[in-house]
Amino acid sequence: RYVRQLQRLQLLFSPTAADARGARQFVEEAAQDFARQHPDVVLYVSPHSGPGPAPVLRAEYLNGTVRDELVASKTSEEIVQLATKLANQSGLDIIRIRKPFHTDNPSVQGQWHPLTNKPSILTVQGPRLQPQ
Amino acid sequence: MVVLSAARWVRSRLSDRFWRVQEVLKYARHFRGRKNRCYKLAVRSIRRAFVKSTKARREKKRFLRALWITRIEAASLEHGLKYPAFISNLVKSQVELNRKVLADLAIYEPKTFKSLAALAQRRRQEGFLAALGDGKEPEGIFSRIVHHH
Repeated sequence: RYVRQLQRLQLLFSPTAADARGARQFVEEAAQDFARQHPDVVLYVSPHSGPGPAPVLRAEYLNGTVRDELVASKTSEEIVQLATKLANQSGLDIIRIRKPFHTDNPSVQGQWHPLTNKPSILTVQGPRLQPQ
Repeated sequence: MVVLSAARWVRSRLSDRFWRVQEVLKYARHFRGRKNRCYKLAVRSIRRAFVKSTKARREKKRFLRALWITRIEAASLEHGLKYPAFISNLVKSQVELNRKVLADLAIYEPKTFKSLAALAQRRRQEGFLAALGDGKEPEGIFSRIVHHH
């Protein structure tokens, strides 16, 4: 069963700042539809009064990663697209994956060491024979 | 009085120069010397580093193939076969394993690699018998090519 990795989305914006216009339109029009379409994500809308930091959309994931996306001077549709993109992501950090595969047990027959193909007289210690 | 354009002597000044410089310098933090701190030197070094990393993607494929071949050669010499004999006889026995997989088998599955080397050796002997013995049909079973349609 699919478990959505996005825990909560927090929209921090100021109700008077000019660059938060898209955020305010998003809250008025599209926030309810977005919340209904994604029932397992909690959407918090926190307006802070007065001049404050730039409007930001903060996403918290189940593995603890917090991702902030600036929404200053963005239209309501762009914010909806951003929010859906964050909702479909997992919380893993976005870096280059070195290998697309991983095993905990790479060797079934025993990894090669310099004595694998040598005669066993070199490694095996037989029973210590008593001198007769 | 409505002013539609700013006066000519008012010029806008950069306020986020620090962040613009930082987002370039973050790619140079692991360099040696002043080019990990000074913007002017870092810009040139970063551009060269990116160009080199783009071009090296083609070299990486050649380098890794050479590494695999070295490893397969070492492993097959342990079993008494040289690399060209090993690879050619494997291909003639219709074993289409690539060098990456063969190198991984040689490291992590030595018994499998030993059996592959034995297969190649047997096919080699059958090939010699077929060429020198001049029999109508090679005696061995590994020389007979199976055709799937």
